[in-house]
Amino acid sequence: MATHNVQAHAGPRRLTYAIVFLILAALTAIEIALSLLAVDPGLRTPVFLILSLAKASLVAAFFMHLRQDSRLYTFVFIVPVILFVLFAGLMLIP
Amino acid sequence: MSEHLTGHADAYRSGRALGIQPLKLGMWLFLASEVMFFGGLISAFLHYKVNNPSPESGLLDVPLVGVNTFLLLTSSFTVVLGLTAIRQGDRRGLIRFLAATALLGAAFLGGQAYEFVSLYGHGVTLNGSLFGSSFFTLTGFHGLHVLIGLVWALSTLAGAARGRYTADRFEGVEVFGLYWHFVDVVWIVLFTIIYLV
Repeated sequence: MATHNVQAHAGPRRLTYAIVFLILAALTAIEIALSLLAVDPGLRTPVFLILSLAKASLVAAFFMHLRQDSRLYTFVFIVPVILFVLFAGLMLIP
Repeated sequence: MSEHLTGHADAYRSGRALGIQPLKLGMWLFLASEVMFFGGLISAFLHYKVNNPSPESGLLDVPLVGVNTFLLLTSSFTVVLGLTAIRQGDRRGLIRFLAATALLGAAFLGGQAYEFVSLYGHGVTLNGSLFGSSFFTLTGFHGLHVLIGLVWALSTLAGAARGRYTADRFEGVEVFGLYWHFVDVVWIVLFTIIYLV
């Protein structure tokens, strides 16, 4: 019974992982294409940052299972990430 | 003494009941410390990039590194496929996907080595300029993490070949996966900050 349940869940899980991977690959392709186009840096920088945040969040949520695991893991990880974003943001001030 | 030990056992069981696995929690705490480690290096790189923009950044080969990024993303995918395989009791599947992960990790390191040699050929060196120092320190430490992950992948692969993991016992694969995905997340951020922005 347990084995049956595991196998029943493995299919959808694999499909979810495949969809997430395809989204990650597509976002990376968009980033590379955008970097080769002569787009105003002031316009494309926020787009790059948003795409990067989306990709990192997808990996953490789905591949690292933060979406379904204990919220404690998310808390442990997100606190230094917020500190890092604040600190790195300060570095952008000339 | 025995009351003390019982207390620990109760705490352990309570944690398990809440869905907290000590090994995974330990790995997440380690990854939290790694965020601060890379956070310092990335912040230093950003500071130099904003205050001392270097023409050397124009030598960076975005399409080549884009391919490398794709390799690392694919290796994260193979790790989760390996984990799914062992959860089903498919040991051969785990071995296959771990081997693919190791190969993709090695290919990433090969690409990074090519990039480093190429930049050195153009005169961008570790101690030649502020850009060179911050670039090689940041990407070099990330490469070191990939190398450690590669050794860990091979060690997990050897464990899988010896039958260490089963459908009921796969925490070792899961914890390795957390480390590998984290290295991938760091690269996603580095790719944007160093090569795109």
